[in-house]
Amino acid sequence: MRNDIGLQTEVTNLICRETMLLDRRRFDEWIELFTEDAVYWVPAWRSEEQTTDDPETQLNLIYLRDRGGIEDRIFRIESRDSYASVPLDRTVHLVGNVLVEKVEGDRVEATANCLVHSYGKKGGQTRGSLYDYIFRRTDGTLKIARKKIVFIDDRLEGAVDVYHL
Amino acid sequence: MAGSFAAYVDDRPADKVFRVDRAIYLDDAVFAAEIANIFEATWQFVCHESQIPNHGDYFANHLGRQPIFVMRQQDGGIGGFVNACAHRGALLTPMKQGNAKTLTCRFHGWTYGSDGHCIRIKNEETGYDPARFRRTDYDLTRLPRVEAYRGFVFACLNPAAPALVEFLGEAARFLEFIAHQSADGMEVLPGSSTYVINGNWKLQSENAVDGYHVSTVHRVFGATVARREERPGYDGMMRTESGRIAGKVENGCYDLGGGHMVIWADRSPPDTSPLFEQKDRLERDYGAAKARWMLGRGRNLIVFPSLMINDFAATQIRTFRPIAADRTEVTIYCLAPRGESKSARYARLRKFEDFFLVSGMATADDVMALEDSQTGSRGRTARWGEFHRGLDSVVHGPDAAARDGKFNPVTSNNTWDQETLYHGFYRRWKALMTTEAIGAKEAAE
Repeated sequence: MRNDIGLQTEVTNLICRETMLLDRRRFDEWIELFTEDAVYWVPAWRSEEQTTDDPETQLNLIYLRDRGGIEDRIFRIESRDSYASVPLDRTVHLVGNVLVEKVEGDRVEATANCLVHSYGKKGGQTRGSLYDYIFRRTDGTLKIARKKIVFIDDRLEGAVDVYHL
Repeated sequence: MAGSFAAYVDDRPADKVFRVDRAIYLDDAVFAAEIANIFEATWQFVCHESQIPNHGDYFANHLGRQPIFVMRQQDGGIGGFVNACAHRGALLTPMKQGNAKTLTCRFHGWTYGSDGHCIRIKNEETGYDPARFRRTDYDLTRLPRVEAYRGFVFACLNPAAPALVEFLGEAARFLEFIAHQSADGMEVLPGSSTYVINGNWKLQSENAVDGYHVSTVHRVFGATVARREERPGYDGMMRTESGRIAGKVENGCYDLGGGHMVIWADRSPPDTSPLFEQKDRLERDYGAAKARWMLGRGRNLIVFPSLMINDFAATQIRTFRPIAADRTEVTIYCLAPRGESKSARYARLRKFEDFFLVSGMATADDVMALEDSQTGSRGRTARWGEFHRGLDSVVHGPDAAARDGKFNPVTSNNTWDQETLYHGFYRRWKALMTTEAIGAKEAAE
């Protein structure tokens, strides 16, 4: 299955679409890419070399347990009442190194890298993330069932929200 | 020179005036004096004891600009050292936190025991005259003072400083309200976050106990969690107190003396707290009044100058380190009662993540507001920052709630919107900043 060019293209397109929707602030469409029970997880660093690895019992930068949690984040951003979100930073995501790692029935696991350049009140910053996805095919469409993001900076400059990741 | 900083705090309560010159957030000379007279002269928080439980566990930090580390000793005590090899000054700890029975400098290989004694010098015999050279002259430099109170480890570069418990004064009571949350002690949970603010450290001290901003800056957080609580899975301990954020509960603030400050607010209701499962034990062991303070009221404490202990939706240790007049590095940890239930631990962590991180839904807003205050302060044609709100309602000494909690503040005030708690902070600041001989002053106190 790892040589399935059709699946590779489908996964790459989905990841590129996801980050395009973030960059273009089409948050409602971004949320639609996730399953209802999607987990969105950004672990914290526990040392210079290790992140936390059990989201239930350890600290995370973000740990949202369903799509409702992702909707909460967007509600706050779009409220225009969040100090850190007005004005909203501009971002450009550049996705690469997309690898389909495992396919089991309707479930697809993939990894990718992302460089995100953001620009706002604090000037420009370019930061990197490692993406680990689990996708699930429902009614023929591949959706994000889990996205784990390892944000490699651990001395953060300014707010870090879902569109920076 | 030191006397010139006195004019930066305009403290005239009889005229209903309390204001500070915004130069204190901007001026490099003020910053340099703060490093010398405050951060390198008074007690500073280093770590929690749970972060160094075993012999050889070390934790690296800074006192002012000086890199230091503390290490658990063989006898169970805590040693504190300047984090620099006695040879040429390279840092000795490869990590912020770790375990090592001996520390070997990675530069030229000098080795130290956990007690700081120099125990090996690479090629000693070919470089030094054995008749004159004594290895013991090259032990690590000990920190003059290291003490712990209820699990909170502090260090001080001033040998004449008063005992830690004296320095803490009434703030000690509030550390107890945290430390007694578990019969087995508290523990720092795995994972932390560090962020840098383009703002002066005092803006962070102010913000940490600023009840007045909650109903504006965190209105959106309240709206977000109120909306969420209509969905399944956000009941019981997973609730966040939107009523508290809107300011619709009893609350207040205290100037605790010594520059320490605290705000408090009733939990709405108390069973949203992960600690609620221990209600019976707390009431039995500590009595209803103290249990009310531990469980029924959330608290934000500033231990002067730069340790915040927050116990509202979750429990947090926040420390901040001055980098420059307009740069502050903040590090936060989640502190939790050992042995709490799985569901309480889960709720505590999730509520911590909701609010406290710069990747969360509230602290990010605080940080940006704070940075705007730094930027606005550069408008030097407008000189003063106002802190006189609440001067008409201030109570000298304890109010009824303080008497219940058996602590004795310098002043009490009737809502957490008031600013009288900052008067103690800035009086302490002024006293330290206008003292030339810091050691003598501390000894006299």
